[in-house]
Amino acid sequence: MGLGLFDDVVAAHHPEIYRYLRRLTYRASEADDLAQETFLRAYRAWQGLAPDANVRAWLFAIATNLARNHFRAESRRRRAYVVAGERRAEADPAGPEEEHVFRETRALLDRVVAGLPLKQRLAFTLRKVHDLDYEAIGESLECSPESARAHVFQALKKIRVSLNGHELPAMEPTR
Amino acid sequence: MTPKHPSCRAIESDLVATATGEAGAAAARRVDEHARECAPCRAELGRYRAIDSIARGLRHDAPPPADVAASRSALQARLADLKSRVLTYGIVPSPLGNILVARSEHGVSLVEYLGEATTLAGSRLRELADVETVESSTEIARLRDELLDFLAGRRRELGWRLDLRLAGSDFRRAVLQAAVDVPYGAVTSYASIARRVGKPGAERAVAQALRWNPLPIVVPCHRIVGSSGKLTGYAGDKLGLKRRLLDVEGVRTTPAARDFRVAREVMYVRAGDDRAYCLPTCGDLPSHSLANLTLIASRAGVEALGLEPCSDCRPDLHPIV
Repeated sequence: MGLGLFDDVVAAHHPEIYRYLRRLTYRASEADDLAQETFLRAYRAWQGLAPDANVRAWLFAIATNLARNHFRAESRRRRAYVVAGERRAEADPAGPEEEHVFRETRALLDRVVAGLPLKQRLAFTLRKVHDLDYEAIGESLECSPESARAHVFQALKKIRVSLNGHELPAMEPTR
Repeated sequence: MTPKHPSCRAIESDLVATATGEAGAAAARRVDEHARECAPCRAELGRYRAIDSIARGLRHDAPPPADVAASRSALQARLADLKSRVLTYGIVPSPLGNILVARSEHGVSLVEYLGEATTLAGSRLRELADVETVESSTEIARLRDELLDFLAGRRRELGWRLDLRLAGSDFRRAVLQAAVDVPYGAVTSYASIARRVGKPGAERAVAQALRWNPLPIVVPCHRIVGSSGKLTGYAGDKLGLKRRLLDVEGVRTTPAARDFRVAREVMYVRAGDDRAYCLPTCGDLPSHSLANLTLIASRAGVEALGLEPCSDCRPDLHPIV
């Protein structure tokens, strides 16, 4: 495995990892620090990685691990939650009514997600926003795929309860 | 929420899975059948579908491209710095004990005799400031194979790209570079290296530079001996290893007072940068110190250097046996 290949890894995955960390922290500087740390760690371990490893899932696992350490400082979580609330206030579309409902619901959902227990929030974000499978999510959260799935479902149920009484846009079946 | 009917509770998980498109066919069918009859669950299914759809919409939420680009370029700068500081290493068990081999992105930068040790504890690698170490036996595998071939006499050249940054000073780097030019199966003296780096008389400084050679074997300081022909020293206190390396290359040594001496009587001789080579008995050569001589163990070694036989002693007609 040549060292040069790592530049390709950065090119392919940095935007998504940054987006993930930005969503978790809501702050450019924190997302930036965590993204850099993710790739620096990855670089150090790169040569020992199995040739058939899922590099994307591996990077998400490193980023998730760093994010969990980051959020061990509880105040940071509260701050992220507050920022999510501010973002909600900013969402003030002048579009048609349906779009307004959709956007407002999305901002509300964003806020609810920010307030979820960390594992549920991470599992939910990895599944819904980044479309990782449960095996990869389990690796990120150091749990079984079944537990990863349970975290996502718990998150959905809490979101559902939080949106109780809130008007939701009508949806066609996804299948 | 009003208390749910047991049949509604029974399908609750399947309902969420169905709404998010993750249910198996049988579970989805059960949920659809139930929802047809049960208005609250039908509504619930719709709400979960809405939530799932909105959640998936979050993936289109992209941070400002300028932020992504700034993060990327900061990362590139830190990676470039890290790459220049990372040394990948492996520990190679060999007939000369365990040998640590470390390389940077520029080339092989450290070779160290560890003796019995199997970890970095006590190694020079551990003491280097501003360096990060990563163990990778796979990365070192090719180097290991070539090194073992060399030590077994199956390979005459390592030909590795070298990173001499650990040499410490320009003078030391020049000494190492000059040592690299001493060919396989040949020996020369500290004095002659001093002359080659433009510091005639600085043989003690040369010896000191070679004592701290960060790349023994690869930078063949074992081929450099005292002007008397005594081995004098090697990598601190490892004179035995010097003798064994010379032996692998066909250079014979004989015991001398608390040391060994190169058996110059069975080696061809090149004076300075002459294009000719001589028998060790040619003219007054036997009385010369090695300060200006290179000794070569074999005809093959002489020929590899493209030297002509001396017209006086005709080593081509009287080869050393």
